[in-house]
Amino acid sequence: MIKAHHVTKRFGKVAAVNDLSFELGESESIALWGSNGAGKTTLIRCVLGMFPFKGNITIGGHDVRKRGKIARSFVGYVPQELAFHDDARLGSSILFFAGLKRVDATAAANALHMVGLAGHENKRLRDLSGGMKQRLALAIALIADPPIIVLDEPTSNLDASGREEVVDTLIQLRDKGKTLVFASHRPDEVVSLANRVLVMEKGQLVRSVTPTELWPTHAPVQTMRLHISMGSDELAAEVLRQAGHAVHLNGQGLCVSVPRNRKAQPLAALAQASIEIRDFEILDEVLAQPASSTEESKA
Amino acid sequence: MTTLTTPKPTSACATRHAYRSFAGSTLALARREFRDALASRWFLLYTIAFSVLAIAVSFMSLAGSGSQGFAGFGRTTAGLLNLIMLVVPLMAIIAGSGTIAGERERGTLLYLLAQPISRAELLLGKYIGLAVALCCSMFVGFGLSAAVLAWRAGGAGLSSFFMLIVFTCGLSLSMLSIGVLLSVLSRRSGVANGLGLFAWLLLVFVSDLGLMAGTVLFKLRVQEVFAIAIINPLQAFKMGVIVNMNASLDVLGPVGMYASLTYGNALPWLLAAVIIGWIFMPLALALVMFTKRGGV
Amino acid sequence: MNTNHAILVALIATLALTRFAHAQTDAARSVDEIARLIEAASEGETVTIPAGRYEGNLRVSKPIVLDGHDAVIIDGLNNGTVVELTVPGITIRNLTIRGSGSTVDQEPAGIRAYDGPIIIEHNRFEEVYFGIDLRQSPDSIIRHNVVHGKDLELGRRGDGIRLWWSHGCQIHDNFVDGLRDMVFWYSEDLRIDRNRVVNSRYGLHFMYSHNTVLSENDLTENSVGIYLMYSNSITLRRNRIINNRGSSGYGIGLKDCDDITVEHNAILANRVGVYVDNSPSSFDSVGLIAHNSLSFNEIGLLATPITHNNVITANAFVENEEQVAVHGGGQLNNNVFAKDGFGNFWSSYAGFDLAGDGIGDSPYAPRNVFRDLLSREPNLRIFVHSPAQQAIELTARAFPDLNPEPMFEDPSPLTRPPTLDLFEPATTPSRAPMLAVACVLLLASGMGIWIAARQNSISVDIVQRSAQT
Repeated sequence: MIKAHHVTKRFGKVAAVNDLSFELGESESIALWGSNGAGKTTLIRCVLGMFPFKGNITIGGHDVRKRGKIARSFVGYVPQELAFHDDARLGSSILFFAGLKRVDATAAANALHMVGLAGHENKRLRDLSGGMKQRLALAIALIADPPIIVLDEPTSNLDASGREEVVDTLIQLRDKGKTLVFASHRPDEVVSLANRVLVMEKGQLVRSVTPTELWPTHAPVQTMRLHISMGSDELAAEVLRQAGHAVHLNGQGLCVSVPRNRKAQPLAALAQASIEIRDFEILDEVLAQPASSTEESKA
Repeated sequence: MTTLTTPKPTSACATRHAYRSFAGSTLALARREFRDALASRWFLLYTIAFSVLAIAVSFMSLAGSGSQGFAGFGRTTAGLLNLIMLVVPLMAIIAGSGTIAGERERGTLLYLLAQPISRAELLLGKYIGLAVALCCSMFVGFGLSAAVLAWRAGGAGLSSFFMLIVFTCGLSLSMLSIGVLLSVLSRRSGVANGLGLFAWLLLVFVSDLGLMAGTVLFKLRVQEVFAIAIINPLQAFKMGVIVNMNASLDVLGPVGMYASLTYGNALPWLLAAVIIGWIFMPLALALVMFTKRGGV
Repeated sequence: MNTNHAILVALIATLALTRFAHAQTDAARSVDEIARLIEAASEGETVTIPAGRYEGNLRVSKPIVLDGHDAVIIDGLNNGTVVELTVPGITIRNLTIRGSGSTVDQEPAGIRAYDGPIIIEHNRFEEVYFGIDLRQSPDSIIRHNVVHGKDLELGRRGDGIRLWWSHGCQIHDNFVDGLRDMVFWYSEDLRIDRNRVVNSRYGLHFMYSHNTVLSENDLTENSVGIYLMYSNSITLRRNRIINNRGSSGYGIGLKDCDDITVEHNAILANRVGVYVDNSPSSFDSVGLIAHNSLSFNEIGLLATPITHNNVITANAFVENEEQVAVHGGGQLNNNVFAKDGFGNFWSSYAGFDLAGDGIGDSPYAPRNVFRDLLSREPNLRIFVHSPAQQAIELTARAFPDLNPEPMFEDPSPLTRPPTLDLFEPATTPSRAPMLAVACVLLLASGMGIWIAARQNSISVDIVQRSAQT
């Protein structure tokens, strides 16, 4: 479905994506894995032909630069940063995108239903929560029933239950034969959705592996998410790093990888530094940060 | 209910599909742009300002003339002319300059570009939507002005009034084109609006004053003054309205006389062509810049 | 089927019959038949011409009354003068006269008279080179005639009505459309009332013709409304002079005329309202321009710099692009703009009237740097009606020292328009079309706004309804 050859995208002197090639077959599901700044978002934008780049990318045989409109009609896209016209109502907004994709209101209604937004048509977009906006974005991506769905951090604005719903929806879609491309920070998503992981570092593709290759089943490490009181995230991350933990900070909280039998360690370290922990959760059973993404904490 | 049954476009028929769909997505964009423009504050402000001024001009031009009001149509038009030449370019340029730069600043441009539409469709859709909104806004002013004319002056000058509206729409479309071009070239909407204001000053005041000075200093000949003057779409607009009202440009002195004698019946078409040129040239340039440079 | 056929046959029959009937009435006869009728009639008798169309050129040389009862067409077949009157005492009434020749040097006319008095009334002229041409036919009456010319360019047309050495004539209630002038040469003591001239060169044109009152004439869309040349003691009263914008474009032009009175005229939307060119020309004569509405013209009053001895009072100068201008630049110091403490009403007057007596507290003496610039650099006129012009005028207002000497001064400007007693037209253009335009425009914009406002909720409905199905 998607073929990328020697894709390079520079912003000034910095190469955000550097000579990267990959191929993606029908009904495949791949995850882009890498630290912030590894070039995942830029690669996704290249795939959608949103700006010029060197090399070439085709979707369904259509060059995304030369025949971007047709190429993009194969793709539903969920962006990382959600930017909508805040004054519009949800109903008219999704109808607008239905118009752009030339499908009718029934398709728009179906898409809203799929993501659980049916009944909210009268709400103004500025009144939607981050999670609802994220689901709206997913609905917009799904309106025209495209064969490929590209998602940039699809669950970053969602709470745990919302995330589960979205991942369930995506699993359904994958099982129906959709091709998925998504960037994610969350190993659990990668494992449950992807059958291949492209590990990116500084704009280059370093490994193309299966999730199980990346996270061997019996890795003696677990990921915990800590919810720290407002504003202390950075400080807490620093404390944990000094205590020798792999730390990943995102909008949802602080993720720490710890040996399975040492889960109290980070809690203790933070308590010692007088940082209040509001809550914590164990994210997944047996996944660990892959070796290649230890850089992430520095990003 | 959640079954996704829409047939996928196969690559074989995708091209035809794309051409057929051009109108569809452009129209969807135009509709939304029109709606957004009408909901926005600038639209309300300009509509009210233009309408109030148009009514005031119509009334003042006809005041004190008693029942001879209908003969005052020409003066009303002349008064409206001044008003239009000040307000309409400002309104259209600023509307245009905000459009792409504004989306860019809010980040919505990226999202739109990820949809199955081409950059040309995006730009044209926005242009059409804004154009319709601008005309809509001006129709309010013209409609109220026509009501005052009908009331105070009877039905005189109907065809001239109609041509005034046509030329004004042309002028606003050309100014919108310039605004859209500036918008494509600017990263931030503040910069775009600044450039728009500058372009407005340039077209409305600076170029005329400069040409006046040039006429006096270099003793330009009539054909030179005319040739330079009509480059400015505002001058072409003004002459177009006057030539439709008076059938001749002799009220504009030797230069106008020269134009009337040289071009005769072709003169209105020449002036219309200038304005049409100013609609399509900046818009074409904007399209090229937007599609080729690929800025987001 | 049968009924259809019957209808068809009936239709064809009717058509054929009407065509036949038409041919009957259209069958042209010769004007010789009219000549024979005149021959048979005695002097002073009324000859009624049988209805029909007559072809050829008619010469009347017996004092009789010729009446066509609006059913007679005399067609000159585009050759020579259609009807010639060679003796006094003839009356021509209720005829349609058409198709004179158009050879320039012979000046063919619809009716030409060589002696007076005669009466020409209620006739209709079509496709004529000259309309009515009176040569030395004094004390004649020309009234209620309608004259349409040939489709010629302005420079090649003949005059609608021309008087040549014909004193004491009454010319009233005629309508002339699309000829050259209604012109009066060397003719005195005329009465010229309620004529209407449109689409012609000069509406009313006086050459060396004195002692006449012109009143309640309507002169619209000609090159010049009324042009008086070398003619003295003439009064223009209650005329309507509108939209005369041709190559000269004067409402009223006064060239070397003495003792002219211009009063109670509506002089509107001309290129120049009143053009005073060296009138009065003698030093002991006075021109009076009073109680006129000089409104909506490009220039209200235009005068040559040597113009003197004019009294301009109690006029309304409303919204002229330029209220007063001097041809070629200069001042109008030898004319007065007020009489007995009454000046004129100027719509551009910005002074106050604290006393409340209707007279402004400060004189009206416009100084305008842009106008001054225009008179020195005529090419700059292309920039009138532009924001740049307003910018210059606004700037000049801030620096009064920049402004030139005023070209005239009205010492006691009126702060309210004077009552003018103007001649009102019987009908004004219908306001329905303009009202319709207003409605269409407002409806269009209203619809747009309404649709836009409704769109959100409608689209929400659509999505909701689609979800239910």
